[in-house]
Amino acid sequence: MRTALAIGTFLILVIHGIVFYNQFGHPWERNQNTYFDQAKVLAKTDAEKAALAARKPRIEQIVVSNFGETRVDRCTTCHIATDDPRFSAHAEPVKTHPYSPTMGDFQKDGKWERRHKFSEFGCTVCHDGQGRGLDAEYSHGKDEYWPDPLLGYTTQDHWRKDHAPKLKGKDYMQANCAQCHTDTAFPGTAVVSRGRQIFFSSNCYGCHRIEGLSDGTIGPDLSDVGRKWKLDYIWGRITDPKSILATSIMPKFNLKEEDVKALVIFLKSRKGRNFAETEIQRFKVKLTGGAELVQATIKPVKINPAEMVKQGEKLVLDRACTACHKLGDRDGGIAPDLSFEGSIRDSAWVYAHFKNPKSTMSDSIMPAFRFTDDEFKAMTAYLMTLRGQATPASGEVIYKNLCLRCHGAKGDGMGPIAEHLDPYPRDLTKAGFMNSKSEARLVNSIRNGVNGTSMPAWGKAVTEEQAKAVLDYIQTTFTKEPRRELKAKAIPETNPVAMSPESVTRGEALFVNRCAGCHGRKGDGKGPNSLDILPKPRNLRNSFFVNSIDDKRLFESIQYGIQGTAMPPWIDYGLTNNDVGDLVNFIRSINPKSKGGQHAAAIQ
Amino acid sequence: MSPATPPKASFLTALTDLPKNVWKSIFRNPLPSNDLERSSTSFTNFFLHIHPVKVHKNSLRPAYTLGLGLISFFLFVILIVTGILLMFYYVPSTTQAYDRMLDLRGSVAFGTLLRNMHRWGAHGMVAVVFMHLCRVFFTGSYKKPREFNWVVGVILFLLTLFMSFTGYLLPWDQLAFWAITVGTAIAGYAPVIGKDIQFLLMGGTSVGQEALLRFYVLHVAVLPAVLTLAIAIHFWRIRKDGGLSRAEDADPVVSLEAAPVEKASVLEPKKTYGFQGLVRGPLPKVGQIPDNTVYSWPNLFLAELFTFVVTLSAILVLSLLFNAPLEEPVNALHPPNPAKAPWYFLGLQEMVSYSAFWGGIGVPGIFVLLLLGTPYMDRSTKGVGKWFSRDRLLANTIFITFVVANIIFVIIGTFFRGANWAFVTPW
Repeated sequence: MRTALAIGTFLILVIHGIVFYNQFGHPWERNQNTYFDQAKVLAKTDAEKAALAARKPRIEQIVVSNFGETRVDRCTTCHIATDDPRFSAHAEPVKTHPYSPTMGDFQKDGKWERRHKFSEFGCTVCHDGQGRGLDAEYSHGKDEYWPDPLLGYTTQDHWRKDHAPKLKGKDYMQANCAQCHTDTAFPGTAVVSRGRQIFFSSNCYGCHRIEGLSDGTIGPDLSDVGRKWKLDYIWGRITDPKSILATSIMPKFNLKEEDVKALVIFLKSRKGRNFAETEIQRFKVKLTGGAELVQATIKPVKINPAEMVKQGEKLVLDRACTACHKLGDRDGGIAPDLSFEGSIRDSAWVYAHFKNPKSTMSDSIMPAFRFTDDEFKAMTAYLMTLRGQATPASGEVIYKNLCLRCHGAKGDGMGPIAEHLDPYPRDLTKAGFMNSKSEARLVNSIRNGVNGTSMPAWGKAVTEEQAKAVLDYIQTTFTKEPRRELKAKAIPETNPVAMSPESVTRGEALFVNRCAGCHGRKGDGKGPNSLDILPKPRNLRNSFFVNSIDDKRLFESIQYGIQGTAMPPWIDYGLTNNDVGDLVNFIRSINPKSKGGQHAAAIQ
Repeated sequence: MSPATPPKASFLTALTDLPKNVWKSIFRNPLPSNDLERSSTSFTNFFLHIHPVKVHKNSLRPAYTLGLGLISFFLFVILIVTGILLMFYYVPSTTQAYDRMLDLRGSVAFGTLLRNMHRWGAHGMVAVVFMHLCRVFFTGSYKKPREFNWVVGVILFLLTLFMSFTGYLLPWDQLAFWAITVGTAIAGYAPVIGKDIQFLLMGGTSVGQEALLRFYVLHVAVLPAVLTLAIAIHFWRIRKDGGLSRAEDADPVVSLEAAPVEKASVLEPKKTYGFQGLVRGPLPKVGQIPDNTVYSWPNLFLAELFTFVVTLSAILVLSLLFNAPLEEPVNALHPPNPAKAPWYFLGLQEMVSYSAFWGGIGVPGIFVLLLLGTPYMDRSTKGVGKWFSRDRLLANTIFITFVVANIIFVIIGTFFRGANWAFVTPW
């Protein structure tokens, strides 16, 4: 045991030796000694030489409290020659920080003077990195946990290998310049301004909010994205959204690389608040919504009535509509195909949909973009010229051309864009549903569309015969059950209960009791059970839908249920026609008639 | 009047004798060369007097104790020393704490080493205290008369966990923030008072400045004081309960009754000795009536020193090889996925992922109650002092089931849980 004790004690001694050695053999001390030696050679006077000889290595630091939280920058401990012009040709770290007129540096009596003095600004306010460290790895932010590695210089080891080389370059530092130089015309932040332009011209603002700039709600708020995320992440989220978040619904914009870079630099500059902003300015922007900022960023296109269609086409193609929609060979894979827009919608509908998508389709996820009225009119005019190709005769081909994008290759309502539509497209494999509806009703849905949903009226593109051919194809390929003779049902033609406040009150009580579990207390189809049900319960506040169907159909759906869905036949649960009448009155009462078509006048 | 001794000479003598006199005034005994001095050294030295003068050979068997209790204590000492040094640099403020960590890592002399030693020492202490608990259980050492000392021990284990948990928040990085958020959320699952305990711990509804200050005060003042007191009681009771546990057959049966006549001829010494001989030195009698004890000096003290040296070297080597983690500064809006509790609570977190109440409160609560009640439920005196005694098959099996289950949960929670707590394979 005594031997072991001796060995153990010796080990402790050795470890302490190593620790002490590490403690006193700092690389920064060697750097400083190198600097002193070389400066001594360059020194002209003896006094200067003596002063240098007397200097010993020590930690240098600049404490800056002018810019946000107090910064302690010890960078000059290694980069000790930053302000010594004699070292401009030396190698890092003992090298002069370059003087440049674009940075505002100027010559006075033949000597360079800095506009941004290190003693006032420190280092990390422009360069990022970790000012407190004394070790290159940590100070430069190589360590994967450090949120701000040297901007444009240091990439971290865990960054994507194909992105990392693109994230180097002096341009990236403009993101920090823009913390103070907020003027969009400032020449030193040209790339940031370019990125801001792309943010608007690519319609990013439609989904994303940036305080004072935009107010989209579909995507994450980007007000302080530059503080939260590193370059690698922002780059990845733009170029390949799903690679970072599998559930992301952000479209791939297929931007050019320099545009992505500009956008990344712009986003990196969004850190919640700028040093240049004052509290009162922020408050004013909050009050006005920052509308003037947007107009200052993208110049509206002046629409010439003679070239409306052409200008509309340019707008639609340039402004990233196809990041979501399909048009010709461009396909964003999120929103419906626009190739037939002219034959399935009228111009009033399209214009109203542009102005406010929810005004024509209650649950549309399309953002309301900030185009001018003239621009909207031009885009509408262009879309009206899109009529697709002549519809073929074969039901199968029609299905593949017109229906598959939503209803899916298997007819199960899970087409490529189905998850972005609300309500979901009908599952055509459910024989219970398909065979409980008359052929006339299904043909009607095809040719006249289903109001308030993404199902458009195909009437102008598809004849009655063609509609029947598609239906035949669906019936044989997906539904796979022959149609049965429909039994006659005892349904009142019109509501036997007159509309009255009492009837609505009774209807509401019944609704809360019987229907709210699935359709929700508000009738918006989001009751607690709705999560487990497919197809989802109908949103009964979708006025476009509710107002387009008559009382007879509501009676049928409630009394006899809807086969192939979770809606049961309520006649079996003791609801009388009078009860259903109250319910229908209640449903009608939450759907005011006057909605929609509010922009019809404007388009004419 | 007084005898005429030359004052000058006396002063010179005093001067020349000064080192010796100072030394003697501090250490009352010379390095012991006989048993009397060995005994005297033990009970006249403040730091040694907690030890018995003589210690049972069984207590010195490394294979019996594995030195776990001592290692725990030495780790505690290392933690106190490094902790106090760290306190000189630390500010429990949400705006400064992380910067102080950067300073410790970047520019404070020995800062990294101190932090590493404190971090690895803390993790080590949790692990070693738990192993010590297992050792005591498997050797049945909690039995009469050591019941209450076992209870004190269990409390010490819980205090160690809490100590480590409160320290986890102090670096104020993402790891700390979210581990404590998860950990305090587990406390919130307790029935009736859970939410209140959570609120009391955090000083609010989320981890913030108040929580940091509370955890700091608990970590550097309250818990160390309580822990020190409990350790003192734990040690004192070891002495009062007759030293470490040992098997019944570790001591030869010494009959106090008159020896039977026929054996008298064997046992009876051939010579008689005076009382002085007993004190002075070994007697044939001592070998004849063996009590299996040896003097603490040097046997026990050397063993303790050895344990200390091994513990310290281990911590130093670990601290030299591995740096204590320091992740991103706290961002309360951006949790890492998954947010994990400290490793020793990952078993709980794993169980919480199955059932919030049972995993976080029910099962661990029952386990702790069972532990506390063990010596009062298991009253059999058999199987003490032997590892995995056959007499204790049932108790050991139950205990080992709990321990292995917890270890498996900790391993699953640490290595096999990825984003959204989904099962992943680490390779």
